[in-house]
Amino acid sequence: MSETTEWKGYLLSHSNGSLLLQSPYIHDGSTVFGPDSDSTTMAVAGIQYLLAHGQKFTTIRLPNSIDAQVVYMSTSVDSPQRNEELEDDVVDWHLIDGEEATLVLSQSDDNHYEFDEPSGTELMDTDLFKDMKAAWEQECSPQHVSQGAYVSQSQYHEGGAARLSLASQKFAGKTIWPPRQMDSLGTRLPREDALLADAATVESWTKLSAAGAPSEFSLRAPILGGVQTVLVKFEEGPRGVFLVCDDVDYSPRIGDQVHFAVRRIYAQEGLIRYGLKAIPHSV
Amino acid sequence: MFVAGDGAFLDSTGASLGFRAETNRLNQMLVHLRRVMVDVAIIGAGQTKYGNHQLGLKGMWAEAAENAFASVDKNFDPRQVDEAFIGSVAFGGGQLGNTAALLTEHSGMEGVAVRRVENACASSGFALRDAWMAIKSGQADIVVAGGIEKMNDLSPERKRFWLGVSGDTEWERLAGLTFPGTYALMARRHFHEHPSSHDDLVHISVKNHKHGFENQQAHLRKQVSFEKAAGGFMVADPLTLYDCCPTSDGASCVILAADHVVRQFTDDPVWVRASGAGSDRLALHDRPSITQLVATQKASKSAYSAAGITARDVDLAEVHDCFTIAEMIATEDLGFADSGQGGIFARNGEGIRNEGSVCLNPSGGLKSKGHPLGATGTGQAVEVFKQLRGSVESERQVRDAEIGITHNVGGSGATCAVHVFGRDRNE
Repeated sequence: MSETTEWKGYLLSHSNGSLLLQSPYIHDGSTVFGPDSDSTTMAVAGIQYLLAHGQKFTTIRLPNSIDAQVVYMSTSVDSPQRNEELEDDVVDWHLIDGEEATLVLSQSDDNHYEFDEPSGTELMDTDLFKDMKAAWEQECSPQHVSQGAYVSQSQYHEGGAARLSLASQKFAGKTIWPPRQMDSLGTRLPREDALLADAATVESWTKLSAAGAPSEFSLRAPILGGVQTVLVKFEEGPRGVFLVCDDVDYSPRIGDQVHFAVRRIYAQEGLIRYGLKAIPHSV
Repeated sequence: MFVAGDGAFLDSTGASLGFRAETNRLNQMLVHLRRVMVDVAIIGAGQTKYGNHQLGLKGMWAEAAENAFASVDKNFDPRQVDEAFIGSVAFGGGQLGNTAALLTEHSGMEGVAVRRVENACASSGFALRDAWMAIKSGQADIVVAGGIEKMNDLSPERKRFWLGVSGDTEWERLAGLTFPGTYALMARRHFHEHPSSHDDLVHISVKNHKHGFENQQAHLRKQVSFEKAAGGFMVADPLTLYDCCPTSDGASCVILAADHVVRQFTDDPVWVRASGAGSDRLALHDRPSITQLVATQKASKSAYSAAGITARDVDLAEVHDCFTIAEMIATEDLGFADSGQGGIFARNGEGIRNEGSVCLNPSGGLKSKGHPLGATGTGQAVEVFKQLRGSVESERQVRDAEIGITHNVGGSGATCAVHVFGRDRNE
């Protein structure tokens, strides 16, 4: 029986060099995604796991259900789905969309895998599941016009690598994140190409009531009881503000250690905006 | 044109231009001296009541302008205005373009050179600065600075959208922050770093509600007890409803004049002794410290220096208390308390009218008087103008007020304008 590992809020199991990722939530006998997760966020987590554990690869084949651009911005792993110049049959890894909220990462494109049932699953509250599902469906509908501040596609993509992979700039002995354009002397700064460590310390935090939360979150904040944000300082020096993952039961304290996972932020014009959210180090 | 051996100017035909050149040089010197020497005064100021207005933009502005015109002691004709600067975020987007031209058109200033000034909540603080600079530069003698915002005619969802457009939308907003959240982060960190607590913020709330209760122009004219303010609905932990200013409709209008024309309008001007301004990084996380506003420090240092005063000389200050923590931090950044001691300052009642060392927010501040974003900066100047002339309601007059300041902040501190006003001109 393979051992189950927790990783960025998901359950991982190994079998013959392949990796199964599964949402920990069970509802009505089925495995379901948590409040701000989907196939794309879980795919990113799986690829990050492989990269963090010694696998060196640059290409992967993805099913169409996964946002290949977000995977690339988050991990620098490219796919034929995003890059037409990549040959579909020469990729390093394959990601197979499993049934329900599961994915398999494998170096072969075999569609038959057997994994032991992972441990650590938990039942999801029925009201929470239904309300969040309905809220996301409404928010992702092209008919839904977000009243949020307009972060255009180009603006979103311009900061994508920094937002999704913590890519920072190195200049004059300093680490700069989020990216800046010029230094105080008017010198253009280099592109961000150095990743911050996936670890930071909470310097302050707040929980906005549903009534005080930005309108991007107006459908989901009432269900979640508000929106929780931490201001953190990275080991390399820069600071940032992040939402706390929706599926984490966590009351922050100044001095807590956190790490980050790619999650859904909100949807605009029918497209989901993804970003990093904070998870306490203990999870 | 060439210079001959004896220094006389010759034109291309060889004729001497010495006399004309000398005259031009003297004229340039006079213009330069006038720029340096000209003093600027407020000769009139007025505003609407802040709150929920039935009036639209044109009606509110006309009311504020009418009140400002009427406050000028001698005859004033709005057609005398050379330039106008009107601050507004254009909340709701109903009149984003050419807002200012629409307003002057409806207030007797048709044809005047006008523009909208936008720096979030500091829009009209900067409109005031721009008006002051227009006169200081020698390009204008009579200038209007004003501000306006209509905030309460939107659905709650649209209102929340507009309340969050002045932060770093790409980073802060996507992290779930609107300004209550941003200032909540500052408050919690202040409590962590310094001897302060939420109780100190409650003291500020109670004080400003007390001051505003007596102000007929205030939005929230009600006193609150310490217990009630301490137990308010949690908006953004640790900030409760009583730590947050209301969203208000309102307009304000200030008329400034160059010293050589002031006496045509009043024998009782209030002098703008200095204007200071600064800016800082937009996002909170891009700043070295989140418990101080560098923009306020820069603006006040510059203004105090130009006016030849220190914080100890100030009798009253209209401080940008969009949230109570903002007043606590401003108390330190403006020099009324040492760094980190703002909580103790509030706890000791130092900002209470005619009791403390300086009266902070005699109008009730943004907390009680209200915060129609673009109107706030010049609204603060209206209060100082009236206080220094002794024309506010008698029960809320700051005794022996000689010097007042306004402190107007944009967003969470990205921009700030500080003005020093006095009964007397700079020496």
